[in-house]
Amino acid sequence: MRALLVEDDETISEFVARGLREAGFAVDRAADGEAGLDAALHQSYDVAVVDVMLPKRDGLAVIDELRRRGITTPVLILSARRSVDDRVRGLQAGGDDYLTKPFAFAELLARVQALVRRATRTPEPTTLTFGDLVLDLLSRRVTRGGASIDLRPREFALLEYLMRNAGKVVSKTMILSHVWEYSFDPQTNIVDVLVSRLREKVDRPFEKKLLHTVRGVGYVLRA
Amino acid sequence: MSETEKGTRPLRFGLHLALWYATLFVVGSIAIVLLTYLLTASSLAERDRQIIQAKLGEYAAAYERGGFSALADTVGAEQRTAPERLFVRVVDRGAEAVVLSQPEGWDPATLETGSLRLWDGTLVQVGKSTEARADLLARFRAALGLVTLSIVVIALSGGLLATRSALQPIRRLTDAVRRIIQTGRTDARVPRTGWAGSPGGHDAIDELTTLFNAMLDKIEGLVTGMRGALDNVSHDLRTPLTRLRASAEMALAAPPDLERYREALADSVEESDRVLVMLNTLMDISEAESGAMELRREPVGLRDVVARAIDLYRDVADTKRIALATDAPEDIVVTADRTRLEQVAANLIDNAVKYTPEGGRVDVDVRREGNRAVLRVRDTGAGIPAAELPRIWDRLFRGDASRTERGLGLGLSLVKAVVEAHGGTVDVASEPGRGSTFSVALPI
Repeated sequence: MRALLVEDDETISEFVARGLREAGFAVDRAADGEAGLDAALHQSYDVAVVDVMLPKRDGLAVIDELRRRGITTPVLILSARRSVDDRVRGLQAGGDDYLTKPFAFAELLARVQALVRRATRTPEPTTLTFGDLVLDLLSRRVTRGGASIDLRPREFALLEYLMRNAGKVVSKTMILSHVWEYSFDPQTNIVDVLVSRLREKVDRPFEKKLLHTVRGVGYVLRA
Repeated sequence: MSETEKGTRPLRFGLHLALWYATLFVVGSIAIVLLTYLLTASSLAERDRQIIQAKLGEYAAAYERGGFSALADTVGAEQRTAPERLFVRVVDRGAEAVVLSQPEGWDPATLETGSLRLWDGTLVQVGKSTEARADLLARFRAALGLVTLSIVVIALSGGLLATRSALQPIRRLTDAVRRIIQTGRTDARVPRTGWAGSPGGHDAIDELTTLFNAMLDKIEGLVTGMRGALDNVSHDLRTPLTRLRASAEMALAAPPDLERYREALADSVEESDRVLVMLNTLMDISEAESGAMELRREPVGLRDVVARAIDLYRDVADTKRIALATDAPEDIVVTADRTRLEQVAANLIDNAVKYTPEGGRVDVDVRREGNRAVLRVRDTGAGIPAAELPRIWDRLFRGDASRTERGLGLGLSLVKAVVEAHGGTVDVASEPGRGSTFSVALPI
């Protein structure tokens, strides 16, 4: 997988590039809009991560130009603006995605992978498996080591999300938006409560613990 | 801005107006003066002609009565006593002219004349000097000239005065705008005055002034709100930033220890997340308070909003063994921003669940009361002391009882700001020891 990263802030660029490389991407970096456009026009990428505020040519103009020239590489737009402006919203409707700064790298990675998946049309699995844990998406049944686990709908949704991102840390914000479709932060830690309930059913009766807390970052399903 | 540029425009405009006014006034007046003069002149000439015709008739009668000698007698008798002598001449058929009377120092060029041919072919001619008439008209012309001159003066000064007073409010408006641009102070206002002729002050310029002031009020509200928000944000961010810095500094100052570093880093991430949440919430509150919040209004069923919020807190309530129940007998639809309304409901339930001890109850009701939809969240918590009640909506206010709980102290402020941005109201009733009821009323 090849990824193009167009970001003028050296620290952020370094941090994102390293993370993407660790996730198996070959990453090219550009520090301004012109260089980014040039790279995107002459190389083939599976995904691009583009900052909105860029020197020489802003990110949205770069994307407009790419689309005008028929290049359909999916783009994750990074914006420092809290409120999403309509142009970005329009791009999102067109299949691209956006993320506001500051962000958790885990979330950026999840979105980049979702864009790639969507673009390459990876077939939807009907069962998710992680170790001895099996989640059937059709019958909505969960078993671990053959033993059936009875989950409530939110618990099921959380486990499904964790299993889809197995091995990757997912943040509380990501869980909140995927499991409840809420986009704001409630003050009480609802996610903590749900995770501990899930842990109670999925991990407690078993020797090997799968659901881990990464303090400060989120949760991960790890063998 | 240079001194010459300043005020040039309104002055030039004012002068323009004054000149137009004066020109119209003067042209109108001159037309009247000319008409008066011409009428006077023609009526004077007409009177002279009538006098001449009358005399001719008189002399013709005398000639008929006694021939030439009777005519000469009549003329002689008459002209000796007349204050202004006429010119009388008789020409008989033999073309012999006899002058019977003539004014002293007469000039044929200044005579108004008339003639009458008698039955025997004799011609009687009567002439009247126009010198007196010309003299009168000359004096009349001089008088009219003076009048015209004074009309021009009056018109110009009147025009200037009128436009000056008409432009006065505009000038004040311009000055106010300039002051605001130069000083950046939005508390300047344009004084309201109805100018002469409109004691009620309801003229167009006054309306403009009022509107302009209203616009300034609005801008000032926004600017003050933003400034206040900025102050609050910078103040409120200092505490978490200090904690963030302190944990990093302490880890760096201590002897190298991987576990300690991990702890410090995790603390830093959590603290920076808190800063972000706080920043977002503070921005939301200020935007909602100043009217800058973008509300994507659509019909929203309150029953659904409450159901989703309850679903969000179900597990938390279960864990605390709190009975979380809802009662919405009819689905009431309000026009509102769905996400914001969900946030309001979630924040109220969050609060109620947080401050209700284990084994308590939280009830969420939705009712129609007149033309308002009322959402009530009732808990069996510790309640709020009466002294704290008015302050609970304040930004970052945390009651004594709430200090042990995790939270930013922004939840209720956001509720109030968002509800008011929707044109609704918030209310709270509380009985210490028995519980509190928070209610939100939204227009339907």
